Amino acid sequence: MSNIVVFGGDSHPDLVSKICDNLNIKASEVHLGKFSNGETSISINESVREKDVYVIQSGCGQVNDAFMQLLILISACKSASASRVTAVMPYFCYSRQPDIPYTAKGAPVIHRPQKEGEAKLTTRRPGADSSFKSLNSVIRSTINLESPQPVRAPELTSSKSFSRIPMIPGSKLQNSHTNGDAEDLFNAQNAGYKLWVVQAGTLIANLLTEAGADHVITMDLHDRQYPGFFDIPVDNLYCKPLAQNYIQHNIPNYEDAVIVSPDAGGAKRATAIADALELSFALIHKERRSQLLKGPPDATLTSGGTLPVSNRPLVSQPITNLRRSSSSSSVSSINSESSKFVQTTMLVGDVRNKVCIVVDDLVDTSYTITRAARLLKEQGATKVYALITHGLFSGDALERIAASEIDQLVVANTVPQQQTVEHLGNDRVDIIDVSRVFGEAIRRIHNGESISMLFEHGY
Amino acid sequence: MEGDSEEMSSNNIKLLAGNSHPELAEQISKRLGIPLSKVGVYQYSNKETSVTIGESIRDEDVYIIQTGIGEQEINDFLMELLILIHACKTASARRITAIIPNFPYARQDKKDKSRAPITAKLVANLLQTAGCENVVTMDLHASQIQGFFRIPVNNLYAEPSVLHYIRTKTDLKNAILVSPDAGGAKRVASLADKLDLNFALIHKERQKANEVSKMVLVGDVTDKTCLIVDDMADTCGTLVKACDTLLEHGAREVIAIVTHGIFSGSAKERLKNSKLARIVCTNTVPVEVDLPIIDQIDVSPTLAESIRRLHNGESISYLFTHAPSE
Repeated sequence: MSNIVVFGGDSHPDLVSKICDNLNIKASEVHLGKFSNGETSISINESVREKDVYVIQSGCGQVNDAFMQLLILISACKSASASRVTAVMPYFCYSRQPDIPYTAKGAPVIHRPQKEGEAKLTTRRPGADSSFKSLNSVIRSTINLESPQPVRAPELTSSKSFSRIPMIPGSKLQNSHTNGDAEDLFNAQNAGYKLWVVQAGTLIANLLTEAGADHVITMDLHDRQYPGFFDIPVDNLYCKPLAQNYIQHNIPNYEDAVIVSPDAGGAKRATAIADALELSFALIHKERRSQLLKGPPDATLTSGGTLPVSNRPLVSQPITNLRRSSSSSSVSSINSESSKFVQTTMLVGDVRNKVCIVVDDLVDTSYTITRAARLLKEQGATKVYALITHGLFSGDALERIAASEIDQLVVANTVPQQQTVEHLGNDRVDIIDVSRVFGEAIRRIHNGESISMLFEHGY
Repeated sequence: MEGDSEEMSSNNIKLLAGNSHPELAEQISKRLGIPLSKVGVYQYSNKETSVTIGESIRDEDVYIIQTGIGEQEINDFLMELLILIHACKTASARRITAIIPNFPYARQDKKDKSRAPITAKLVANLLQTAGCENVVTMDLHASQIQGFFRIPVNNLYAEPSVLHYIRTKTDLKNAILVSPDAGGAKRVASLADKLDLNFALIHKERQKANEVSKMVLVGDVTDKTCLIVDDMADTCGTLVKACDTLLEHGAREVIAIVTHGIFSGSAKERLKNSKLARIVCTNTVPVEVDLPIIDQIDVSPTLAESIRRLHNGESISYLFTHAPSE
């Protein structure tokens, strides 16, 4: 193929070389590194003038570093007169946009905790007297200018397992006492302003466009609306044909299996596979009701200590009317000293004595999928497969999966899965290789052919 | 604005801060008498940045404080800043000003070889794309970076604060100013004029980035207190070599004064083993290195005053020559 240049970022070199093998070309030489102050450094060692450039970078590992590297690569190619630059992002970072702060998916880790007793340079503090008369004295008088110590962030990183509730650090942002932030944020909730989590989707799309991307190729975007954030073409490839292929060839007696969606949001994706293979379908519905917001902030919450949901096993109440009803539920309610967390998980559909295939597009902290597997086993499923496109497995997700009821983990290699295989062993993990789909998409886009065939048949 | 321009009401100005330099944010906030707004900037376990906004910023004049620093986190901090700006934009802020004391990627400002990225320009574009309408920074590595923006860039100088420091804390009679490279000659000459001091220049032959080979001294430094002035100290290779060169030429003692004390890589080791009498930096970035020879200049009054002036629509050129007093 002439006039094509493929660059790989450093997030997933394995996939880059596989895609290049499929295209029967070599990845172009690019040096990726960092300056000693942490700034990303790249140098491109091959001409890109008037070339059709593809930059492959998955949104994994140090996401922001990977993303900046992608932007810099794109911008460098563009300013070196490339005719077209296509961003190939097998996993699109920031594609999942949690919207409710207290049930947000994923667990936040707090940046740079300042250790107590850590020697810090003290800067000369401005005195309480300001030379600017224009400062509003009324406002200034309400602020305690005498607060003697810079407020230290509590050590939040020490606890490894976070709940799915973002914790509010009592930290540097407030010049009151240590828990000021948490308290203020909780109070803000009651004072009529609803705390909201910023949705970065449009921003990421705009940044890519601004850097100079002319085209984006990605796979299984979490939101189907996401391509609408862009003003440039976005080709969203599907892992579904590959997943169907896996089910048909690797799951014995797949005709009797049940496709399960671990939450209501994924129902459409799961039913699509169930319909295509004419399998039955079940849905797990989870409901989280946090009563944390109503009470005063709990000390254990702000210090990142005990977290009600994640640290304790889900206790299901015995269900007596199993035979008669195909719909059953398991309810658990955990009360700690001052915080209450109610969890309801409901299974709709019959899985007794069946092989279950849990289908999800994205597994990050793995709470949802491991909980789903447990519930399915409790309801009499014989074997649980987890079929996942993007296996991010952040935090201690792999330990959780290893200890879970998931018998077979099937995951695509949109993000590196070496660790997963190492952790769970070759027998328990199957990798779906997506490099052929990406390779074929790149070939077709380069040649100006239609790629819709890839949506249906895979490759 | 309200009728009384002397009044600075807090209900139309908001100060936000990322995680890069909480101390500086707090100092600016105290100086202005305006508390920092309730925003939470976190990192999810998958390393994505998450920002939570806890109070209304509709129709407010928003100032976001985030500096470019962090060997591991510089890109995280940049993303935090972009997401914060985007958040304010989507929350209908009236005007968004980014306070970036140390502009990240400022040294990647030219195509010094084929296909090299002009990342400073990219960062400028990203900030504008996110919705930034005004930028305040300090001692840009190259003031031409202002031209990368289509929005106003207020490049403040640490010079007035540095002048104040030199006048009050050094032996002015025996001092001589030294520029560690030809590029900084202008900066040093300007200081020398204002202090009525002589100046010397060190010419270095650089072979690779972050590596310095040979040094040639122009000027007489015998028995003098040498004040090396530069815009940033990163790995400190240049500084330490310049210090050695000066001492070889008979200097009595060497004091380095830099605006941005980044001190990355092996800077700590180098400084520890160096013969520098003192190294002075401003607090545009947090200084993680803890050595007795490090001294700091507080520039938060300058930054705070620039915010006040921008908000009130006053000229900030006064700050180019004057450091607001403590």
